[in-house]
This record gives sequence, structure tokens and C-alpha cells, in this order.
Amino acid sequence: MKLSPEEKRIMDKMQPGILTVDGFLGNDTRNLHEILQEDAETIESYGYTAEDIGKRMKYFTERSKEAYEEPILIDQKYLVQQDIWRGKVVCPFPHKGLYTKADIHLKNIENNIEISWTPLNIHFIEEHGFFEGKGSKHRIDPETIIKALF
Amino acid sequence: MEIFYNILTATIISGSLSIILVIAEYFFANYGDCKITVNNKKEIVVKGGGNLLNALAENKIFIPSACGGRGSCGFCKVKALDGAGPVLPTEKPYLSASELKDNIRLSCQIKVRQDIKIHIPEELFNIKKFKAKIVEIIDYTYDIKGITFQLLEPNTVDFKAGQYMQLETPKYEKSKQVISRAYSISSIPDIKDSIQLIIRRVPDGICTTWVHDYMKLGDIVNLVGPFGDFYIRDTETDIIYVAGGSGKAPIKSMIEHFAKYQSTRKMTYFFGARTTKDLYLTEEFQEYEKTMPDFTYVPVLSAPSPDDGWTGKTGFIPPYFKDYIRDPLNTEAYLCGSPGMIAAVEKELVNLGVAKDKIYFDSF
Repeated sequence: MKLSPEEKRIMDKMQPGILTVDGFLGNDTRNLHEILQEDAETIESYGYTAEDIGKRMKYFTERSKEAYEEPILIDQKYLVQQDIWRGKVVCPFPHKGLYTKADIHLKNIENNIEISWTPLNIHFIEEHGFFEGKGSKHRIDPETIIKALF
Repeated sequence: MEIFYNILTATIISGSLSIILVIAEYFFANYGDCKITVNNKKEIVVKGGGNLLNALAENKIFIPSACGGRGSCGFCKVKALDGAGPVLPTEKPYLSASELKDNIRLSCQIKVRQDIKIHIPEELFNIKKFKAKIVEIIDYTYDIKGITFQLLEPNTVDFKAGQYMQLETPKYEKSKQVISRAYSISSIPDIKDSIQLIIRRVPDGICTTWVHDYMKLGDIVNLVGPFGDFYIRDTETDIIYVAGGSGKAPIKSMIEHFAKYQSTRKMTYFFGARTTKDLYLTEEFQEYEKTMPDFTYVPVLSAPSPDDGWTGKTGFIPPYFKDYIRDPLNTEAYLCGSPGMIAAVEKELVNLGVAKDKIYFDSF
């Protein structure tokens, strides 16, 4: 599918060195539509929605704040720790919003799956269904995150 | 095949029209000189066609901006009184309903095509752009550097302890454009010909990657400022400071300022860190305890490793407040750090009786 001028602008903003050093697309050669569509199909095959995943990520992010950047065991199953950095990052999609620079690290101690995300990742997934391009530093594989969070 | 030719024809026609429009704008859209009236008192004349943010900056009026005018940070707001044209779709996402009602606009998105009248906060008239040379780089920890900038043009600065500057990162291998980021000044206001910034590496951060991996002594950069309302109030109250990591920068400026004048105010600085690897300037702050008898420096480690041999305070900072606050109603607090830390500290201080409006903070 041909990208609209707006979608082209979004992909331009996702390139390395525009909003972050590494950008959001990695070495993925697919366009935005294809990235969104393939990941949407994956999560649908597991019976979840992007909103379900985003809500779960938010839950762990908020709970981990109770420990002020130290590890915390949540629901006897998830070891979560948050690093917070100075500054905020904007979303490349066209809307209002600044997102705290932070890294949230989660380990599911039952299956030993470990994943990390940023507050912008939560927004990407919940609002845009965007898990980032393959090879991107903060790409979250939909299958992996479902296995880690649920 | 017919569909293909139709699409091709439509593409060629629309492409040609776009090129004609660009050429037409270049040759015929001459807006001449336009007058920008700021706060009904300052008038500047600029060549029309550019954006308002740049037009103001060229005339030494600097509106805060973190993205260099690309319409992605939403910081460069001004009140448009006349001549700014309609609100663009590119700026709407950054404006609330009340801001839209008050004619607040993003100055980077306003094209100067006619005379314009705007209003900006008075303090922005004092902000300058400085050309500066990097003359000292100190590795405070594995991820925190202190950088001293010698001011070249203008060669002096006036600021209040606690304020911040915007550092322009030049284009470099990892960034295709000039990027501005805000960092607190860590030197004291009495030193006017240079400033020090303390900068912690932010993973994937464009500016801090340049600072930590590419910047070198002798580099010439631009700084814009000073900005911010996080500064020491002119009172005689006791003071509680709380900050960790690079949040130490504005607190260092404040405390060094008091040390220079041998302040007798009762002040306590709680510095939060994870392990001893994250401590820095400890001896310097312990020295201030000698020059200021009522100053106490309290480093608190949240996760010291057994190898650290740490015998100081551990855990969270708020439970220690009650041991150091002698009169909550006569206490101010200055906090610098993450929103979560600030919320927790503020809650405990208010519980102990410190007035909420006496708690000042610089949130990351």
C-alpha cells in the first residue's frame, strides 16, 4: 500500500538521529503499514489486542515506581525494575505528548523471559499498535511480550 | 496496463504541479519586510517568509525550543495577538483547548507573511545565545561528566543558582541536525565568564551521546539561556535539598553559592544514589560542612553492594527527613529528579508540616 504524505512524514521522524540516536525502524525494510499489519496479525493470533498489551505494560510500569528504581517482585511472578533518565521524547506520530525517558526491565520468573521497554513503547503499542521495526533497539517482539506479560 | 498509465499520468501531473508551486513561491511569494511587535514595546523588522521562532532568534529574542523549530517539542509557545494566520494542523496537537482560546501558538509554525503582534513572558528578553569553548571535561562517574564552557560571545552571563541553559549539539555522525537540550548550570553565578553543566548519559539520547562519546576540549558550541524558575528564594528559612545523579547540578550551584558567602542557614542535602559507584563530589560537599557549620551532606545509598563497604545511610531518603527538619513551618525544599521521586519526597515533607508552596522542584 502506498504511504500517504503524513505517513511518510512519520517514517522520516522515525529515522536514526531525528528523535533518538537509533530511531525506531531498525533495519526493517517494510513500510509502516506492513510493520503494523504483521504485528497486529501476530497478537490477534494469540487472542490479545494491542490495548491489552499496553495496559499490562502500564500496570507493571506503575507498580515498579513503588520501588524507586530498585527491583520489585510483582504478583509473585514478575521481577520489575525501572531506570529513569533526564528528559522527554516526543512521539513521531502527529499528536500531543511527551514521554519520560526511562527503561523498564521485566523478568517473568516462571518462564525466565526477560524484556525491556520505555514509556514511549507503551504509547506506541497502546495507541498505534506499533512494536517498532525489526532490528530496532527497542523493538518488542509481540510473541515474546505476550509470553512475558500474560 | 491502462490503470498503470492512468496512475502514472496522475503522478506526473501532481508532481509537476508541486514543482510549479515551489518555483512560484520562490520567485513570486515576496512578502517584503514585515514588522513583529513584541509585548507592544519592541518592534523588529524582518524579511517575510520565514518562521517566527527563527525571526525572533535572529533578533536576539530566544523562545525556549528543544527541537530546533521542527514542530515536535511544543515548547516554543507565544501569544499571538494579530497577524499570525490560522492555527495549523501541525501545531494543534501541542495546544490545549484553553491555549487555543487564548491564541497561544507554536512560534516555529507561524510563517511571517505580514505584520505580527505577539506577547511573550518578560523574562525571555534577558535570554541570550552564547558562543562558548569547551575548556574542561571531568568524568565524575562512569556515566556523568562535568563540562566547563568558556563564554566567548557574549563573554559574560548573569543567572540565578538553579537555572538551566540549552546546549546545542552540532550535527555529528549520529545526528543529521542541530539538537538543543536543557541542562542545569552547576557553577555559581559569581563566575560570569564560564559555566559548568553536569550531564548524565541517557541511553539513545542524541545530545548526551555527543557529549559522552564525541565532544572534546576546544570544541565551540552554542548555549542559549538562562531559563527556569527553579532558583533559590531570597529568604532566611532552613533548606532541605534532595537530588541524585545529574540532579546534583543545580543543587551544587546553590550550595557553592552559599558556601562562598559562608551562609549560616541550616541546610541539609540528601544525595540519593544506588551504589558507591554513583557517588561523586562527596569530599567537596563534606568540605562545605566545615565552611558552613549548619550545612549537612547526607548521601543515601539504595542498593550498596557488599563490596562497597558502605557504612552510611541506606534505603529511601524520606524516612530520614524527620531527623533533620527542626521547624517545618520555617523550611523550604529544593528537589531535582524524576517525577516519582519528587512526588514521594513532596508527600513526606508535607506530612511533616512543610508548606507545599515552599517546595520547589526541577522535574526530569
